[in-house]
Amino acid sequence: MLRDRPFATYVLAVFVILSLNFILPRLMPGDPLLAIYGEEALLAMSPELKEELVRRFSLDRPLSAQFLAYLAALFRGDLGHSYYFNAPVSRVLLGFLPWTLLLTGLALCLCAALGVVLGIESGARRGRPQDAVLLSAALFLGGFPDFFAGTLLLLFFGVTLGVAPLAGALTPYAGKAGLSLVLDVLHHLTLPLLTLVVVRVGPFYLLTRNTMVTTLGEAFILTARAKGCPDRTVRYRHAGRHSLLPVVTAAGLQYAHLITGALFVEMVFSYPGMGTLLYRALLTRDYPLIQGILLTAALAVLTVNFLLELVYVKVDPRVVRAR
Amino acid sequence: MLEIRNLWVSYGGLPVLRDVSLTLARGESLAVVGESGAGKTTLGLSILGLVEGECRGEIIWRGKNLLALSEEELRRLRGREIAMVFQNVETALHPLYAVCDQVAEAMVVHGLGKGEAADRALALLERVGLRPDRARAYPHQLSGGEKQRALLALALANDPEVLVLDEPTASLDPRTKGEIVGLLLEMVRDRITLVITHDLAAAARLAGQMAVLYAGRLVEAGPAADLMRDPRHPYTRGLLRAYPHLATTKDLQGIPGRMEHGVEGCPFHPRCTQRLEACAVRAPSPVPAGGRTLACHRGGIVPLLEVRGIAKSFGAFRLLRGVNLTLYEGETLALVGESGSGKTTLARIVMGLTAADEGEILLEGQKVEKRTPEFYARVQMVFQQPGESLSHRLNVLQAVKEPLDVQQRGTEEERLSVVKRVLAEVELPCDDGFLKKYPHQLSGGEVQRVAIARALVLEPKLLIADEPTAALDASVQAKVLKLLLDLQEKRGLAILFITHDLAVARKVSDRVAVMLEGRIVEEGPTWEVMASPAHPLTRSLLTWAGPQLPPAWARRGSWPAHEEFSGPGRPSAGAVSSR
Ligand code: SF4
Repeated sequence: MLRDRPFATYVLAVFVILSLNFILPRLMPGDPLLAIYGEEALLAMSPELKEELVRRFSLDRPLSAQFLAYLAALFRGDLGHSYYFNAPVSRVLLGFLPWTLLLTGLALCLCAALGVVLGIESGARRGRPQDAVLLSAALFLGGFPDFFAGTLLLLFFGVTLGVAPLAGALTPYAGKAGLSLVLDVLHHLTLPLLTLVVVRVGPFYLLTRNTMVTTLGEAFILTARAKGCPDRTVRYRHAGRHSLLPVVTAAGLQYAHLITGALFVEMVFSYPGMGTLLYRALLTRDYPLIQGILLTAALAVLTVNFLLELVYVKVDPRVVRAR
Repeated sequence: MLEIRNLWVSYGGLPVLRDVSLTLARGESLAVVGESGAGKTTLGLSILGLVEGECRGEIIWRGKNLLALSEEELRRLRGREIAMVFQNVETALHPLYAVCDQVAEAMVVHGLGKGEAADRALALLERVGLRPDRARAYPHQLSGGEKQRALLALALANDPEVLVLDEPTASLDPRTKGEIVGLLLEMVRDRITLVITHDLAAAARLAGQMAVLYAGRLVEAGPAADLMRDPRHPYTRGLLRAYPHLATTKDLQGIPGRMEHGVEGCPFHPRCTQRLEACAVRAPSPVPAGGRTLACHRGGIVPLLEVRGIAKSFGAFRLLRGVNLTLYEGETLALVGESGSGKTTLARIVMGLTAADEGEILLEGQKVEKRTPEFYARVQMVFQQPGESLSHRLNVLQAVKEPLDVQQRGTEEERLSVVKRVLAEVELPCDDGFLKKYPHQLSGGEVQRVAIARALVLEPKLLIADEPTAALDASVQAKVLKLLLDLQEKRGLAILFITHDLAVARKVSDRVAVMLEGRIVEEGPTWEVMASPAHPLTRSLLTWAGPQLPPAWARRGSWPAHEEFSGPGRPSAGAVSSR
C-alpha cells in the first residue's frame, strides 16, 4: 500500500534513480566514455571533442567529484549532448515529452474512470451474465500485446476505413490554431489512446470488480440498505466509493505499465513521443539520449505516484490520522 | 402490531428458520436469544426484507404482508418505519463518511432536504450522547461505545416504529454496556423492539418478553423474568446454566453435543436428556403453556421425582411432617438442613429403606408402590459412609458388578466391560490389580468413587446423594462433585443432594430446599436463595457457610453511575473476586 509513505521516500527514490543513472555506465567494462557514447560515436569523434567530453564528465577526477559534477549538470538541466540530433538531450526531450504525457495521462484517467464504472456495475452483478461477459472480455483484451492491438486498430480504422490518420500527432504544416488545432490533436490521438485504454483498462476493472464483491459483503453495506438507500446509492456512494481506494493505490503501478505500453504504441502509430524517440535513439545508439529518456520516464512514474498519494489522502479520511 | 406467522427462511434450500411465529405489540420489547447460528439475525433481517434466502410465511405490518412487497416498497419502509441496528459495531458504519453525514443520509433518502437533515442529524446525535465535534468525526476516530451510539442515532433518524437491535451490547466493555443499555431503554419506549442477543443479562434488562430460538425453531417464549427464573424447556435451562452472571452460583455447565440444523423431529433431540422416541420423528409445535409458549412433546422439563405429603414419626417424635418436593429431570436439588432435621430419613423413604406413615412418592408421574428392580434401575443412592453402600467382603469388581448381576443385564463379558467403562467415568483405574482390591485397601476418596460407580452402573435417571463428600478431603470432594455434575451434563442425571453445607450446595445445585424440623421452610433457585434468603434458618446456615456472598449492590440490580466508580475504593480486600 502506498499510504503512509513519507515524502522522504520519494526524495530517496529520486536519488537512487539518479545514482543508478550515474553509476551504471561507469560500471561497464572499459572506457566510461565508450559506455556513455558507444563505439561508433567515439570512433567518429575528433580528439578535441573527446578531450572536451572527458573534461565535461570530469572523467579525469575521482568518482565523488564526478558524481557532484553530474548532479550539478542535472541541476542545470544538462542531460548531455545528443549525438544524433546534435542538440542538448534536454531540448530534444522537451520536444517529445509533452506528447507522451498527453497520451499516457489521458489513458490513465480514461482507464481508471472506465475501469471503475465497469468494475462497480460488474461487481454488483456478480455471477450474472453481464458480469461474466465483461470479465471474459477484460481477460481476453488484457492478453493482447499493445503493439499488436495497435496494429490491428491501425489497419482497420486507418487503412481499411481510412477514418484515422496513419501517423503523427498533428497534420503537419497545416497552420491550424485554436479549436481546430485541438480537434486535430484529438483526431491524431484517438487511435493510440484507444489502443492503450483497450489493452490497459483490464487491471483497473478487475481490481474494482473484485474489491466491489468483497465490499458488498461488508457490514456497512447492510447498514446502508437498512437505511432505505436506493440501489444506485448503495452501489456508488457506499460500495463504489469504498472500492475506489485500492484503485487509487494501484494506479501508480499501472502508470508504469502504461508508459511501457505507450513506448510501443507510439512506434506503431509513429506518434512523436518518447517511444518513437527511444526507438530512434536505440537505432542510432544515441546513449545520452537513451539515458535521458529512461531517467525522464522513471521520474514521470515517480511524480504520478506522488500525486496519487495526495489524492489518496483526499479520498480516505483514515490516512490523515495515520500520518 | 407486528406479527410474524409461520416464517420459514432457507438459504440454498437449507432452512435456517422453521415455522417461527411471534407477535409484538406497540411498546413491547422482545428479546430473541439463542446461541450463534440459531437464526436470530436472519429473523431480524427478514423483518426488513433484507434476507438473501427464500422466505415463506407472513410478516404482517399495518395490514400488509412484508414478504409480498416489492423491493421499492420495502425500501421506503426501511429506515423509516422499520429500522435495524446491526451487530459488528466496528464495521457497521461507512469508514469514509463522517458520522453525522451518515445519519443525515438516512433522512435524505426518505425525502428530507439536505440542510434540514444535517441539522436534525446533529441534534439526534447529541441526544444519544455525541457532541457535535464527535458527531462530525469519522468512524475510525470514535470508540466502540460512541460508534454504537452513532448506529443507534442512525436507526432512530426517521423515528421508526419498529426497531431491531442485533447484539446491541456485544463487544462493549461493561461500563459502556451499562450506559448503552440505559440509553436503549430510554429510546425504545413506545416502539416495537426486537432485541437479538446471546447476552442473557442484556436481554433481561432490555426486554419484557423473551423468545428462545434453537436451530431455527422457537422452543420457548414468555415473560423474560419467568424464563430466566424458571426455564421450562431443556434448552432454555441449558442456555442459562452455561451463562455466567454475577449471581450464578452453580458451576457452569455446557450442553452435550453441538447445535445442528436440519435434524428431523424436535431440533434439540440429539442433545436432550429426556427425549422419547417420538421426539426424533415429529417436531413439537409451540403451544401455550401456563403464560408462555413451549415447544416440547413432554411439556418441558419433566418432574422426575415427586414427594407428596410424606410424614414419619418414631414413637411420639414427629420426624417428618408432610414434606413436598419435586425434582426435575437433569437438575440438582439440594436438600439442606441441620443434622436431625429429617433429610436422611426422607432419602431412605424414597429408596424404600424406611416406610412412611403418610404420603406418596411418584417417579415420572407413576405412583411407586413396591420397590421393584426396575425402580432401582432408575433410582440409586450414595451414602454418607461408603461402608453403607459397599460390603467389605466384596472387591471392587464384585461391588460394582453386583447390581448388573441382580438385574441380570448382559453376558458376563458385557458386564465386565460396563464396569470398566463406569470406573473410567469416575476416573478410577480399571486394571486387574485395582479390580481385585478390597475397600480397606483403598483411600477414602477411592472408596466413595467406587460407591458412586456402583450407583451409576445401571445408568439411573436419579441419584440420591446423602452427604457424599462429607468424609472426604476438600480436593477429593472437588473431584467427586465435578464428576457428578459432568454426569448430569452428559446424561441428564437428576441429583437429590443432601447436605448441611450450603457452600457445597451453592456450587452444585440448581435449586435448594431448606428443611427444619421435618418441614421444608424455604425453596427456590439456588442463586436467589443465596442472594436473599428468606428464612432465618437459611440465613444462619449461610452465615456459618462463610462470608462469600456477592456484594450488596449486585443484589440491588442497578447499574452504578459513573461517579460511583470514581469514589474512594475500598482497600484491596474489596477487589477480591466474589468467588
Ligand atoms: S423432550 Fe423431546 S420434544 Fe422436548 S425438548 Fe426433549 S427432545 Fe425436544
